[in-house]
Amino acid sequence: MIKLSNIGRTYHRGDGTPVQALRDVSLDITQGEFVTIRGASGSGKSTLLNILGCLDTPTDGAYLLGGEDVSAYSDRQRSHVRNQRIGFVFQAFNLLPRTTALENVEIPAFYVNEAIDRNKALSLLKRVGLSERARHFTSELSGGEQQRVAIARALMNDPPLLLADEPTGNLDSDAGRSIMELLSELNSEGRTIVMVTHDAQVASYAQRELVIQDGAIVSDQQQSKPATAGSPD
Amino acid sequence: MNWYRTITLAWRTLSRNRLRSFFMMLGVTIGIASLTAITSVGEATKRDTIAGFKRMIGTFDVINIQPGGGATRGMPSLATVEPVLKFGDAQAIADEATTVQRTAGVQFAFDIDVKHRDKTGSPAIFGVSADWMQIRGFNVSLGNILTEEDVRSLARVVIIGADVQAALFGDEDPIGKTLRIAEIPFQVTGVLESRGVGPGGSSMDDLLLIPVTTASRRLFNRDYLTSIAVQLKNPELADEAIQEITAILRDRHGIVPPAEDDFKISNPRAAMAQVTQVDTTLSKLLVGVVIIATLIGGTVIMSLMLIAVSERQREIGVRRAVGASRRDVMIQFLGEAVMISVFGGLIGIALGIITGVMVAIQQQLAPAILWPAVAGSVLLSVGVGLVFGLQPAWRAANIDPVEALRS
Repeated sequence: MIKLSNIGRTYHRGDGTPVQALRDVSLDITQGEFVTIRGASGSGKSTLLNILGCLDTPTDGAYLLGGEDVSAYSDRQRSHVRNQRIGFVFQAFNLLPRTTALENVEIPAFYVNEAIDRNKALSLLKRVGLSERARHFTSELSGGEQQRVAIARALMNDPPLLLADEPTGNLDSDAGRSIMELLSELNSEGRTIVMVTHDAQVASYAQRELVIQDGAIVSDQQQSKPATAGSPD
Repeated sequence: MNWYRTITLAWRTLSRNRLRSFFMMLGVTIGIASLTAITSVGEATKRDTIAGFKRMIGTFDVINIQPGGGATRGMPSLATVEPVLKFGDAQAIADEATTVQRTAGVQFAFDIDVKHRDKTGSPAIFGVSADWMQIRGFNVSLGNILTEEDVRSLARVVIIGADVQAALFGDEDPIGKTLRIAEIPFQVTGVLESRGVGPGGSSMDDLLLIPVTTASRRLFNRDYLTSIAVQLKNPELADEAIQEITAILRDRHGIVPPAEDDFKISNPRAAMAQVTQVDTTLSKLLVGVVIIATLIGGTVIMSLMLIAVSERQREIGVRRAVGASRRDVMIQFLGEAVMISVFGGLIGIALGIITGVMVAIQQQLAPAILWPAVAGSVLLSVGVGLVFGLQPAWRAANIDPVEALRS
């Protein structure tokens, strides 16, 4: 479902010196895979995730998502791709302040030209175990709960691809574990998941691990151990 | 994002940031409130002026024709005018001009002695046709008005003004008494209602009315008029009526270009426009100042929106990540700016109307609301929101989502 061919991303610093965040990255990810990207900070893993998420555009190479070359898309086209086919889960949850859990889950539906399906949002909150918290403001939720709302939000338009950037990074180990179990469950239903992490524990939920260093993929390994809900510590 | 969603989203954001929303509205509210109050007090004053003007000159459906071209000053009297306006002219205008309802001929003179027993006065003397009193809105407080029969029979009857009554009759009942005008006896048949003081400060009650036929044949021995009062069918068509009358009179007087008119037609509407001119110049200036104040209110919206945009970077990043395009973000912020500005404007209109009515009552004027100004205020607030929301919305739309989401 994802095919990156010779992707490069060069930034320009304020003084004009170019910085190569990614160089010559080629990668195939098939439908239903659970892939982690590991790497030191500044290695380019976030840039890679942003390009996969159509938030950033590569300066070189081609990105085929479901057979379409999305690297050449306009802003509106890429926005539509993010809206329909990609769900984001962030380390900092990124729920909107002064907004209820339910309203947060409904945001992706705002940008679809159809009536907002409130029942769907409610059932997603139920799915992540927060049905009784739907009308609570985000400031009233714990970190784990906020991340669950964020996952429900990522699922609102039923995207086949989920991108997670250190989803357990701001959580204690119990909350982190339950988030990872939720993601594994979503993966086992057929959703493709690409997750950035540097926590080996968290990485063990995935079937495939990419290691990125200085903007290039240096290792691409299938994990022997299949991910199952409730993996041992 | 459709319109309904834009509005509900803007409403949600603004209602959950009440303090900020309040300060954003303030400038526009004050500006629009002043605008509404000023225009409504101005309108009340203008209506009061017009009402006063109407009391003085009668109704707006009357125009006046005087002999002599060019600029003549003051009331032309029989002794000074050119003898060009004839009784037949008044009749022809009534018969031929399609915009005219009726006409009344007038012969005017002054400096003529009027006596009752040992008392003497010299009021203005108007010889008028029977319709004249109705056309000019004159009425009697005692006795009867002039009749067609009085005019046809050259009756020696006179209707006196309140000042004449006071000067010559005192407490005596004047009806049926005899008055001598240039030694010719007339019978008093009516007393005019008092019309008070004119704009120049002089009394409008020192006058006599007699039938114009009597005036022409028995008193002055003149066959020309000092003026013709013309009542229009539709006061909106004054300009057309003036054209028609001009054509009729030029034809009857045998005037061909390049010769100029030997008569002058007044347009009460134009005269009134002149009276209210000073007033409107001043209020235009004030309105201009207030519109500038409202625009300054717009800059408040702009700067607070710019602050909000940088505070809400993360929200913008999230919205972009879940599928908002640049355009969606632009519309969202523009929608907020327009909504806040329109709310500010509507509150301002309400406050302005209340203030305007209160000032009018305090100034003893009939309260008036100038609805075109209200509609203009609504448009102005929409415009302020659009114009001053543009830069913040543009900035919000162009925030890099990757930067905005970086924690």
